[in-house]
Amino acid sequence: MPRLFARHRSRLLVGRKPGILIIIFFQKAGFGFILRPGFRFLSLVLFLIFLNGCAGRLNKASRYYYAGQPQQALNLLEKGDNLGNRNQLLFLLEKGLVFHQLGEYQQSINQFLAAAQLIDQFEVTRLSEQAGSLVTNEWMMRYRGEYSERLWVHSYLMMNYLLLGEYDDALVEAKQALERLQKHPEALNADYFTRALIALCFANLAEDNDAYLVYRNLAKDLPSPAPIAADIVKHAERLGMVDEVEKYRPFLTPKNPLGEAELVLFVASGRIPLKRPGNVVLPPSIRFAFPYYSAEKAAQPRINILPHSWRYRPLLTTDLGVVARKALDARKTRMIAKEGIRVAAKEAISQSVGNKNDVAAEAIVRVALFLLEEPDTRSWQTLPGRLTLVRIPLPAGRHKLQLEIQSTGFDRRHIIELPEILLRQGQRVFQSVRF
Amino acid sequence: MNGFSFLLKMLLVGLFIFITAGCSVTTREVGSDEQVIYDEGYHFSDKKAIVEDMVTSLLSKHPLLRATDRPVLIVYGIANRTSEHVSTSAMTDDMRQVLLNSGRVRFVNKLQRKNIKKETSYQYGGSVAAETRIEKARQVGAQFMLTGTLRSIEKKQPRQFRLKKKTLMYYSLNMELTDIQTGLIEWADSAEVIREASKPFIGW
Repeated sequence: MPRLFARHRSRLLVGRKPGILIIIFFQKAGFGFILRPGFRFLSLVLFLIFLNGCAGRLNKASRYYYAGQPQQALNLLEKGDNLGNRNQLLFLLEKGLVFHQLGEYQQSINQFLAAAQLIDQFEVTRLSEQAGSLVTNEWMMRYRGEYSERLWVHSYLMMNYLLLGEYDDALVEAKQALERLQKHPEALNADYFTRALIALCFANLAEDNDAYLVYRNLAKDLPSPAPIAADIVKHAERLGMVDEVEKYRPFLTPKNPLGEAELVLFVASGRIPLKRPGNVVLPPSIRFAFPYYSAEKAAQPRINILPHSWRYRPLLTTDLGVVARKALDARKTRMIAKEGIRVAAKEAISQSVGNKNDVAAEAIVRVALFLLEEPDTRSWQTLPGRLTLVRIPLPAGRHKLQLEIQSTGFDRRHIIELPEILLRQGQRVFQSVRF
Repeated sequence: MNGFSFLLKMLLVGLFIFITAGCSVTTREVGSDEQVIYDEGYHFSDKKAIVEDMVTSLLSKHPLLRATDRPVLIVYGIANRTSEHVSTSAMTDDMRQVLLNSGRVRFVNKLQRKNIKKETSYQYGGSVAAETRIEKARQVGAQFMLTGTLRSIEKKQPRQFRLKKKTLMYYSLNMELTDIQTGLIEWADSAEVIREASKPFIGW
């Protein structure tokens, strides 16, 4: 047996390119029919159809969700990905958000915790997966989530825990969100909503020093520190930082309403832009494919509280599309490098097939590889376009409020009835709204 | 079919068997004293070690050391200030159990207050024979309050050119016993767990 290997090794390996070695391997194993040009072309086209079909259930669920049928969306998502686990993260993210929308916060937590665990596992780069994607496309890879999406897993977990009154757990998520922000500050700093939410989680448990630090860093990135000046002054006073109190006191507006208790609303509006396919084609058959977000802006809704006697504090809001675009840009260098390697690998395969077969076979392979080069446009589709933090100081007692919303994207006025609340002195109550 | 192609086929079949064999389910019993640690995170064996440390300290120091009247305690829980979802009530449950078993303290059941009230109301609702009803206003007030905070500090190695990443995890549990009448902290102690783990950046 070793002699057999030695005899073939000398003939097979010496001076051969890796692509040729794979072809020879299959031929010698008796599976040579797989490598016939016609069969290869058919296989590649079928493979392409298979990959594009994988996202079908997610797209359909998204359509149900935006058509106001979250339960149907959930039923579809519950069926899961029956073609491998490449989209497992997206199924968890979409289910987590739909459960949140349905008010099933514990179920939503279960999905998002599983998603966070999966994201942690993605820290280990799998060579087999990377190698596969180098000669096909990014759809071969398990979807790992953009930096922004990885942060929003924790944003939604924070919201869910606050809505359930589990403040210790909300703080755990706040710390994990901070870690994500620190990993990619340039890409994620514009997420004012999540940063304010992190500060709120610290403040809620009287962790004054941490709350103060988050607010102070946020103040540096905001156009004006006015929306959070009151919070900075409060925490700085408690920590005995007289100079900081003096620094931020001028930003306090006389309009800043005060109350014995507070109602905090997480207002989600619109929908996040979808990833679009981008292409650059060079002769003879080189195709660079990349995803991008269109430059849509999420409309800033005008919010009023009814009855009009109640006013809210200055709003903190995030255009999720802006953060998503920045996050995608942050990994552009890595994306271009990998795309370059893939183009080179495909060119080598085409040329080696051309050398072994006729021109027609090479042309077929070139067309197949060209078609196979599809940009990965997978994304978390049920995310809103904008998240806004609305804080309404109120006196202790029973309250029944309404939310009046007017947005440039809406032709008419929307009135949302909020559930009745009973507030105790110093209590903070949270509610989630989406329109 | 020549010998070489037969060999390659066997190689493919062998590889398939090897992969599927690795996917089979295995189970084994783990003793409660056994230390099973997979990563740098919080594990059940940490809870056991921390609880033992705290109870030993509490019973061997003032004010419980010389107490002869089995003082009454209430547990107000341990605040979780780590970056992990840790069930701190499991810690206080275990501490309460060990302290009760020592026979030197008693505990007020704070968690069952609502149910106690409900049951009392039921007994006085007309369905229960008067001579078997419990007496109202006979509950015992707690003298001491047991509280604590679990904290963690995580330090990760910077991502440089290497195949493994090291993480250092530090857990500290601080506990206090407060005299409810005077508001004075009568006992305080801490327990620590420090652990280092390394994870690969690259896998197959």
